[in-house]
Amino acid sequence: MALANVLGFKSNNEFDRSLQCQKTDNNIDEFCPTLNIENIAQFITLPPYADPAKYLKMVNEKVDRVKIQFLKGTTTLAFKFRNGVIVAVDSRATAGGFIASGEVKKVIEINPYLLGTMAGGAADCAFWERVLARHCRIYELRNKEKISVAAASKILANMIFEYRGMGLSMGTMIVGWDKRGPGLYMVSDDGERISDNIFSVGSGSIYAYSILDAGYKYEMSTVDAIDLARRAIVHAAHRDAASGNIVRIYHMKETGWEKIEEKDTNDYMYQYRDEKTMNF
Amino acid sequence: MGDDILSYNGGVALAMKGKECVAIACDKRYGVQNRTIATNFTKIFQYSDHCFVAFCGLATDVQTVSERLKFRTNLYELREQRKLKPVVLYNMLTNLLYERRFGPYFVFALVVGLDPKTGETYVYDSDNIGAVSDNVNLATVGTASEYIFGLGELFFKPNMNSDELFEATSQALLNGVDRDSASGWGAVVYVIEKDKVTVRELKGRQD
Repeated sequence: MALANVLGFKSNNEFDRSLQCQKTDNNIDEFCPTLNIENIAQFITLPPYADPAKYLKMVNEKVDRVKIQFLKGTTTLAFKFRNGVIVAVDSRATAGGFIASGEVKKVIEINPYLLGTMAGGAADCAFWERVLARHCRIYELRNKEKISVAAASKILANMIFEYRGMGLSMGTMIVGWDKRGPGLYMVSDDGERISDNIFSVGSGSIYAYSILDAGYKYEMSTVDAIDLARRAIVHAAHRDAASGNIVRIYHMKETGWEKIEEKDTNDYMYQYRDEKTMNF
Repeated sequence: MGDDILSYNGGVALAMKGKECVAIACDKRYGVQNRTIATNFTKIFQYSDHCFVAFCGLATDVQTVSERLKFRTNLYELREQRKLKPVVLYNMLTNLLYERRFGPYFVFALVVGLDPKTGETYVYDSDNIGAVSDNVNLATVGTASEYIFGLGELFFKPNMNSDELFEATSQALLNGVDRDSASGWGAVVYVIEKDKVTVRELKGRQD
């Protein structure tokens, strides 16, 4: 789209999406320094009737057996420690009781120094974090420095707030490393944005929190931190029906994120049972 | 999992026929919606040397119906002075469930049995108000019943011996429960033959 613009290519099709993008690209200088959220609406069509929030609510609650229930059936966690931030997630996607997939990638690699996690509606998380990636890149180009985690999470929170009450479902954690050090923010669909050292989101978070709270020390080594994150996800996968399958662990360092591992939680469960740290 | 009463606790059971043998298997999860509380809750109950019933559904009703049925079968054996047969067992179950037609128990049942003299096999599938199927080759009940049915139909062959039957039942159950979040956490398989009943625990996914 930008390339087409540079080359002077004009599409004949009136309804072609590239035209819409062309308008945005032409107005790119008019972007406010903070954020021009209005442009996002050009890419997303709201339903073509009055009061979309009321209708969308019907689809989210049980009316005449139509129900799209976004239950945050997952376990994601992230915590800051001496050597950065560890992010660990499971990989199960459930639709009601049905396990729709056991290989979902719940860590979204926004750019080489920012990660986002996915909980709630997969489409919502994937889409908005990709929009966030775009805004982060534009910031980087204009300001010749990487965006801070605080700013990135604020951009996302503000975008989500525009759609508050319309049925977005997201419980995401934005993780990065900027000039203030490691950064961790939790952003959710009700517009909440908070920063802390330890977060866990999803139906399995209650089990993950127990393990994290029991073993967390800010000064722990990287190996211990990875082990703690792994155990937390494995225990949550065991107890929570909506979490499980594969555990993925990432380490956010000063030089950017590194993927540590991607292994089956079941193998760890039997291993921990042999070590007598798990009982079943 | 929503507010569906039959998936509140979860669980699944499968029964398959072979040549002069039957297998019945169930998972071992006891949970409350998303929370798994125990992994030793088997849903198969023995009523006679060669008669077994599996109950799936609301856990409290699994316990209550199995115990009430045991009460009736005990009295039957005392009064009649003879051992229970599978056909009698499923008739007693039908009546027990239909007595509560307008306030039913939330359990679906599988009745399996074998006649030790003739080797005739019985597998029956009951809904929660006592509608019993004919004597079938394969039956499943529970939250993962559809997934296991597909696999069961795939692995079933007529006149399997007890080893093949065990393999077919185990594979159908283990792989079926991996697609259901409310079942699993281990499994147990009973293979009933004319002279013995073999109970085996399966190593399944614990998530």
